[in-house]
Amino acid sequence: MTACLRRYLTTAALFGTVALFCFARLASGSDPVRQISPDEFEAILAEQQGNIVILNLWATWCAPCLVEIPDLLKVESELKHRNVSLIGVSVDEPAFNTNNITRMRDKRFPDFLTYARDNRDTDYLISVVDPAWNEVVPTTYIIDRAGEIHTRIQGKKSLKEFKAAVLAAIE
Amino acid sequence: MNLFKSVATTVAFALYATLGQADPISPIDHIAVAPDIAINDIGDIAVIWVDRSPELSGEHSGHDRHLSYTDLYMAISKDGGNTFDTPAKVNHDDGVVWGQSVSRPRIISAVDGTWHISYAANEIHPDMHKPVLTSHYTRSTDGGVTFDAPRRLSTLTNSDLSDMIHGGFTSAAAFQTITRANDGSVHLFWIDTRHMSPQESTGALYSAVSRNGGATFDGDREIFAANVCPCCQLMATTSAGADVLVSMRDVSDDGHRQATVTRIGPDSTITHDRVDIGTAPWQIEGCPLKPTALAVKDDAVFTAVYSGGEAEPGVFFSWSTDGGKSFARAIPVHSDALVSDAPTVTANDNHLLVAWHGKTGGPRRVFYRMYDFAGAPVGDIRSVDSGPGNASSPVVVALPNGSFRVVWEQDDRIHTTVLPSSPVEIEVGLR
Repeated sequence: MTACLRRYLTTAALFGTVALFCFARLASGSDPVRQISPDEFEAILAEQQGNIVILNLWATWCAPCLVEIPDLLKVESELKHRNVSLIGVSVDEPAFNTNNITRMRDKRFPDFLTYARDNRDTDYLISVVDPAWNEVVPTTYIIDRAGEIHTRIQGKKSLKEFKAAVLAAIE
Repeated sequence: MNLFKSVATTVAFALYATLGQADPISPIDHIAVAPDIAINDIGDIAVIWVDRSPELSGEHSGHDRHLSYTDLYMAISKDGGNTFDTPAKVNHDDGVVWGQSVSRPRIISAVDGTWHISYAANEIHPDMHKPVLTSHYTRSTDGGVTFDAPRRLSTLTNSDLSDMIHGGFTSAAAFQTITRANDGSVHLFWIDTRHMSPQESTGALYSAVSRNGGATFDGDREIFAANVCPCCQLMATTSAGADVLVSMRDVSDDGHRQATVTRIGPDSTITHDRVDIGTAPWQIEGCPLKPTALAVKDDAVFTAVYSGGEAEPGVFFSWSTDGGKSFARAIPVHSDALVSDAPTVTANDNHLLVAWHGKTGGPRRVFYRMYDFAGAPVGDIRSVDSGPGNASSPVVVALPNGSFRVVWEQDDRIHTTVLPSSPVEIEVGLR
């Protein structure tokens, strides 16, 4: 292999890696947050049967919510091999698009898989999981492998507390 | 295009008005939430709400740097709420109102018939060129036909917390409330986050006062520098004396968010510090959102609030017999509900009315119950016959004839109905 060819292949590999990285970022961070109906939410959760789901209710204007989401992402990352997944639901007013929710997600936690409601009434969506939700954010549900609520956590918690709650549901 | 939009909106409202007097109040082709209601001394009723017209959304709003796309509308009834005039738009610039059920615009009336309105607005900071949330005031002195140019009462600061709070706002002056004192002064209060930091995540209580019927306001003034829940709406009301009463959630160092009431004097100084209204300790670093409802009858002060600290969380009712300086232990309002929240309270000459939204198995509905002025329930819990759909976020006023009127949101529209004047009338009505 000539030095010229080696240089060419190295450059191509470098460009390829950068392009792949950019594509991955675009795919996770640039798609607008999807607005879902209660039926769609039910289907999303049904797909998770067999997994432990951390379901986090948050809002862009809720400071404690924004502080705890990175910790929830860490818990998901550390326990992914044990089939733990994190799903967010924003309770922000949905408007006719989700610009502000998407903007906040992309800026603060682009890897956060989160949805928004497609109806102005949050209760329609959350009732799929908890008809007795008391409209407080942040609320985090640890949902077991059978799809049942194992733990309901309200208010900002630490990484340690979240991890302990998820491990309790795993065991 | 703008002319077309204006004409289309006007026609939509006019068509709605000709359809007549049915509940709901808001037009069918608009999304309406977060109602408030007030009554003036001659019995005119005003209802305001946050409204999103089909034309006013996202990139079509003309405010691509704004985080909200909503307007504020008001409808007046001169016959006790049986019919309402065509709704009028309150804000002058399209789409600048930042309002939702948990940070709703508020309206009060003055003795001279003026309607005073407070709301949070989404502006662009002139120096930082980023969204900023500010507290605004306007008034109508012609019965709700026109409104003064809205005025920003919160000072613009250079703090930039856009990475930290409120979905990208540099700072926020929201969750506001408004009341009048017995001397006629108009008091606005809001939660201000200008001092917030990653280390200090509580809000401050700010106020602005007008002593000439809303023509001008003093500069904004800090009442509490910290330890106010930054995402829990405030409430305020006139006391029997010279003070006004303000309710807020106090954030303690150990993370409790207790519902409290404080007394503010005519000169905007604290005349009595925050007093716990008697709910169990609730340790939560989060946003309970709904306000602590307030009503006054002579020296008695009545409050209703959601508490999550109790063995059975839900709406709790409490009262003070010394003008809000101390409160009895709060009592549960709807123990057998799956969930109860968002209470509102008002008094007439005979009874106190507490209303809230709750669930007892089906969709959310508006419930209410009367109490006497000693805090004892009078009659049973009743629900408003609102048909299918989730009914929520009620607000009540007392009418001159002894009955009450309630507004609420349901399926993207604002609804209203009258509630009986006494438990006896309820029983007769049921027969």
